Amino acid sequence: MLSRTHLYDFHARNGHLIEFSGFEMPLWYQGIVPECKAVRNSVGIFDTSHMGRALISGEDSTAFLNYVTTNDVAALEVGRAHYSVMCNEKGGIIDDFIVNKQAEKEYLVVPNAGNREKDLSWLKKEAERFSVEIRHISDEVSMFAVQGPNAQKVLQEISDEDLSLIPRFGGRNVDLDDIKATITRTGYTGEDGFEVFTWDSPIEEPSKAVAMWNAILDHGKSYNIQPCGLGARDVLRLEAGMCLYGNDITESITPFQARLGFVVKLTKNEFIGRDALVREKAEGAKSVRVGLKMLEAGIPRAECDILKDSQVLGKVTSGTFSPTTNQGIAMGYVPREYSKTGGEVEITVRGKNLQAVITGFPFYDTSKYGWQRTQ
Amino acid sequence: MKVNNYEVPEGLYYTKEHEWVKLEGGNCRVGVSDYAQKSLHEVVFVDLPKVGVKIVRSQSLGSVESVKAVADVFAPISGEVTEANVKLADSPELVNQQPYGDGWIAIIKPSNLKAELKNLLDAKSYADFLRTQMK
Repeated sequence: MLSRTHLYDFHARNGHLIEFSGFEMPLWYQGIVPECKAVRNSVGIFDTSHMGRALISGEDSTAFLNYVTTNDVAALEVGRAHYSVMCNEKGGIIDDFIVNKQAEKEYLVVPNAGNREKDLSWLKKEAERFSVEIRHISDEVSMFAVQGPNAQKVLQEISDEDLSLIPRFGGRNVDLDDIKATITRTGYTGEDGFEVFTWDSPIEEPSKAVAMWNAILDHGKSYNIQPCGLGARDVLRLEAGMCLYGNDITESITPFQARLGFVVKLTKNEFIGRDALVREKAEGAKSVRVGLKMLEAGIPRAECDILKDSQVLGKVTSGTFSPTTNQGIAMGYVPREYSKTGGEVEITVRGKNLQAVITGFPFYDTSKYGWQRTQ
Repeated sequence: MKVNNYEVPEGLYYTKEHEWVKLEGGNCRVGVSDYAQKSLHEVVFVDLPKVGVKIVRSQSLGSVESVKAVADVFAPISGEVTEANVKLADSPELVNQQPYGDGWIAIIKPSNLKAELKNLLDAKSYADFLRTQMK
């Protein structure tokens, strides 16, 4: 029995449904390529309610989250979020997610859809010696992402607050079209945009979530807003250099290997995985995540070998065709000594060894695309 | 003819892997069917066979790829590839727009057409086959 989100009816009527992490979700509505273009050029809306939402509150909530994640939760102010990872004792990544500080002793954490159960079990187990309450609220709160250079303009039409005052990774409780919501200036596309949490919208009675979705679509009409599916979501995040749990990061990969060192605050006293990560930082990660751009026509996919002088260096962990740069792009892992940008390698795609080059992230020209675009 | 909203032109031969064959003089023009291109959705890359390559029926001729999926194109007959549709390098979307026209993939000079024709489906048989796929 597959699960459905609040917007299932819309997806079934307008989209091409597939199974993803136990949910029936739209892979695309119009098509992956036009949906990617809509987000990079204007605005798109994604239903991301298949992801988890957990509220962690109580006296020890800060200390607890600081113990189970690598980033510094104590540095967050109310109305701020950060990207973080949760590691096991070996420093392997259990999940990556955003942590939002909702109130002095309350945090909203958003696990990946496929890790809902795993994360909750882990959190509940580790919470035993802390005075915290963990509430799984995925079924009461819906979540959408509104992404693209016009995302703020669309949401501004249904809000009385000045949304331009919300900084990147900032959060605010606002009413959108008179519906109670929390929005954070975060996303999984590399573009400016918001993630919108609609409260009091139970799965069994999804009318509030549907009203929010429709309000955003209506007010986005003049910006040609497009509903976007999981296909576009995966391409956009890969173009932005962002990891997909299960592909680019797993329990066998550490944040240093994944080049996510910026979320590891070793200055924190104690957190799960700290010892292993301190050792790895001193020795240097043996293999690291790199970007790969095809120099010949062909689309690299997960599991393709990465070669140098006929030796296998590592494997591709995510690959796709990038409509923004019109070429095949990928992420994969190679030994550190081969990870320099500009390094030429080959990727074995369906039996052929095709030329590729190691690049940084994101893959697109940041003056033209992305939230820091200047043009 | 049409099966639901999938075009199945008469006068072509088909395979159960959704390739079509058009007999042109002594040669066979090959492509993928409307059902194949609709299932794949947006074609973004076509891996064409090399001209001069000798292939055996059912061997992979190349592939047609969407963002998310790769579909092998299997040789419907044995022979030699005499031409590949290089237009598909810049315009892979022709496979979606004109699967039976400008979206053709290769031309094969057959080595054993008379015998191998028996393995191909005519339009009506392919249409019947499609109906069973859609149940």
